[in-house]
Amino acid sequence: MARISLNQTFLGTMFIVVSLFLSGCASSASSRYWGKTVAPTDNVLRYISGSEPESLDPAFGTGQPEARVYMALYEGLVEYHPKTMEPIPAIAERWELSPDGTEYIFHLRKNAKFTNGDPITAKDFVYTFRRALSPELASRNANLGYYIKYSEAYNSGNMFVKDANGQFLLAKDFVKETEKKASDTPEAEPEMKPESAPANFGAATEFQSFMNAPERLVVKGSEKERAKQLEADPKLKAAVEGKELVPVTAENLGVEAVDDYTLRLKLYQPAPYFIQLIPHQLFRVVHQPSIERFGKDWQRAGNIVTSGAFMMSVHRPYDELVVVRNPHYWDAGSVRLDAIEFYPLEEQTTMMNLYKGGSVDAIYNHTTPPAWLDEIRKFKSEYQDHPEVANEYYSISVKKPPMDNLKVRQAFSLAIDRFALAQFRKTPKPLSNFTPDGIFPKYDEARKKVYGERLKAENMTVEEWSKGRLFDAEKARRLMTEAGYPVVKAGNGWSCPTFPVDKVTLSYNTAESNKAVAEFNQAQWKQNLGITIPLKNMEWKTFLPFRSGVQYEGVARNAWVGDYMDPFTFLNLFYSPTNDGATGFHDPKYDALLDAANKELDEQKRLEMLAAAEFQVLQEQLVIPLVTQATNWIKKPYVKGMYPNPGTLHAWKFVYLETDPNKWDTNADNLMKESDASVDEQINRLTATMAARK
Amino acid sequence: MLSYIIRRLIIIIPMALLVVTVTWILIRMAPGSFYSSEKKLPPAVEANIKKKYGLDKPVLQQYGILMGNIVRGDFGDSLKYEGQSVNEIIRRHFPYSATIGILAYLLALAVGLTAGIVAALKQNSAFDYGSMSLAMLGLSVPNFVLGPILVLIFSLWLFWLPPARWGGASSLILPVITLSAIYAAYIARLTRAGMLEVMRSDYIRTARAKGLSEWKVLLKHAVRGGLIPVVSFTGPALAALLAGAVVVEKVFAIPGLGNIFIQSIFNRDEPLTLGIVAFLSILIMVFNLLVDVSYAFLDPRIRYE
Repeated sequence: MARISLNQTFLGTMFIVVSLFLSGCASSASSRYWGKTVAPTDNVLRYISGSEPESLDPAFGTGQPEARVYMALYEGLVEYHPKTMEPIPAIAERWELSPDGTEYIFHLRKNAKFTNGDPITAKDFVYTFRRALSPELASRNANLGYYIKYSEAYNSGNMFVKDANGQFLLAKDFVKETEKKASDTPEAEPEMKPESAPANFGAATEFQSFMNAPERLVVKGSEKERAKQLEADPKLKAAVEGKELVPVTAENLGVEAVDDYTLRLKLYQPAPYFIQLIPHQLFRVVHQPSIERFGKDWQRAGNIVTSGAFMMSVHRPYDELVVVRNPHYWDAGSVRLDAIEFYPLEEQTTMMNLYKGGSVDAIYNHTTPPAWLDEIRKFKSEYQDHPEVANEYYSISVKKPPMDNLKVRQAFSLAIDRFALAQFRKTPKPLSNFTPDGIFPKYDEARKKVYGERLKAENMTVEEWSKGRLFDAEKARRLMTEAGYPVVKAGNGWSCPTFPVDKVTLSYNTAESNKAVAEFNQAQWKQNLGITIPLKNMEWKTFLPFRSGVQYEGVARNAWVGDYMDPFTFLNLFYSPTNDGATGFHDPKYDALLDAANKELDEQKRLEMLAAAEFQVLQEQLVIPLVTQATNWIKKPYVKGMYPNPGTLHAWKFVYLETDPNKWDTNADNLMKESDASVDEQINRLTATMAARK
Repeated sequence: MLSYIIRRLIIIIPMALLVVTVTWILIRMAPGSFYSSEKKLPPAVEANIKKKYGLDKPVLQQYGILMGNIVRGDFGDSLKYEGQSVNEIIRRHFPYSATIGILAYLLALAVGLTAGIVAALKQNSAFDYGSMSLAMLGLSVPNFVLGPILVLIFSLWLFWLPPARWGGASSLILPVITLSAIYAAYIARLTRAGMLEVMRSDYIRTARAKGLSEWKVLLKHAVRGGLIPVVSFTGPALAALLAGAVVVEKVFAIPGLGNIFIQSIFNRDEPLTLGIVAFLSILIMVFNLLVDVSYAFLDPRIRYE
């Protein structure tokens, strides 16, 4: 999910200055709770959800503010666990993965209904998937579904190639030499052959045999691009010329309604984390008849038909969106709130005022302003401080001198005291890895093992190594000197006269917090290396192409929030076709390692391969990791069943308001460990269908 | 007079189109696009988006289509808020801005005129110094400082008024006061200066010499002339107020047009930005015309041919 941080400019500064002054006079730490806190009288949650939703179409809206609203309005095959965000049954009561890892079968419950009472069947999911991936809808999230067979080809408007005998040309006959070489590396084993998938997983259908047949060759749909594609590959050109081109259609997509309550998904290749993506908004089920009937007006109040635990009641853009209990929801009996009022606000001071005045019950993540933090976090019952599946780092332009020198990159990283940085930022924790720590426990284990093996040669433990990466000014100066830029003593500090300061800039998108961090790090480099790096701030949308095109020199601010609960969402940033890390790094070996990891069905082995990939990112110092983000949000102590999970995405049907003050939260730090009998019972009942038939 | 008004009205449309064109060029020169985000899109997805919104056509053709639609009063659909037309968004959010804008200006007029006139009549009195010091303060304290202070006192200490959000008359009080403060201060100073000048002019002496009562002199002759600076100020001020006060809208979470306008620029929501720019430029030109016409009523020396 894209990270949004553009609302603080000059205005933000002034608010902070003012709120600093005000929080000074407004201290009310003597009371038990922060601000007006009274037992709720109605069963309505008032929640500040972030910016105004772009759309009420779950296949269309891309951000977290939208996701929070969609989680009330729409349900998918599976839902996020309220604490861990692992998938738990929703409309699918259970699912199975084929032994080769490329085919999912979802068994849908028979009593699921849309808000107008229409039953939800596998056909609705087929429609939902096809629509989400159609080129006409042009969803910005479409690529999240690219693991589904032929989805990328369909979404790109590509064509199959058919010869005179009516046979389709196959992709395996046209693998490029370079790609072959990349996958020939020993790590790329074992080679998976999709065509060897057992044909009898689930009910055998004609569609299944089509899906299990060897992958067909596709070429570009647009004439201009196809000509370019063929020009680059003479073998392909010779084979395609004179043959019939057949567009890839929605019907070719690897999703099938085996019967009304059985849905089959076929992937290109094993993607062990794909199930983690299924609760994503892109895959939440939408209602075909109303979309077709009302066209672009289908999202309006009165027209909209949804599938979730709640349904739309009132929508006043930029003011509020009210959802109420859906009487047709299959699990309506366990939905605990009568309604949720979403307030689309982004001004942090305003949020704090509303919360303190008792007008809202909970707020989304990253919202407690630094100036208020010291006061608010005294209220243990309300302040939510848990690690988030998000990091903050500086991308390095690794192809341009002087940053093409590994030692220079390492020196810049080591010269930053991350403990001091974390303390300065107040909420985050220092980060030596790239993938945030403490979010994926099994991966943390794998990392420890793999790093340990690699470090044996250097006679170092993982702990020493990690700690050494957080700050080591001495080593930084030594590396700099080794790189040919000697750091010499100058008065009380250091100086590095030969370093080409004009070739390095620290660029960041305009935001108060980014500026503060940039200045902090600038001071660190000055203090520890004797180098003063100029800062450059840019408006968000101007910054984006500047960074992703690696037009910057030196380092650029970057951050990532995981799209799903798997370390791959982070490591994928350095995968050549993605290159969201924006470093200019490109290594077929790294790509092959990730590919191989995803083909690995043994979870532990796969995680170890991913850990090896991360080790490479760290060793080559493609980025300067800074901190792991904290969720940093507040809720009233009477809001229960709402947890500080790593993505701050709440399955609303578990949330309830407790009227008895004796049962209110006392310490949010324990929320994730403590059990809440009523919520646990709900979750156990849901997951029981999973275990029963395994 | 009438022909003057008609001439001025006719020129509004081409002027607005010119403003829209310049804005369009500026938007196109700005880097980034409405669909760019942290995540780089695969080329296929980007191509789909461009096709859907007609961005794959030659630029001049895009401009032609855009202008053709605008001339017909259709600004198209927002790129950010899927399925919502620009006209609908303006229609929906303008009333919020207009409500607090007009109320704030009325309050500013009431306070500013009273304070200004009384201060001018009692020049160098305690009231004059007191009110003008207050006006100076009103001008120097920005509304992003005044707003939170009012919220702190009336919402968080006294719990009298809601701290933010739209809903009922009570929710209007703080934003209207916050917004009006600077205008009230400015009007008070303008009025005082204007009145002082007029009160010393020859025609007032003549009016007094004719034996008119002091009240009549004041209301019939002095105020009319003394208000001309205030009227000149009212045109652009009211247009700016109606267009939405970004800071007040943010502090008090009011769904007005000002904030949406600013966000549309950050979002690179081209149709929405162009629509609001056209709307605001027409608004400003109409208000300026009204101001110019009203001079004729206030100052007998001004005539339009």
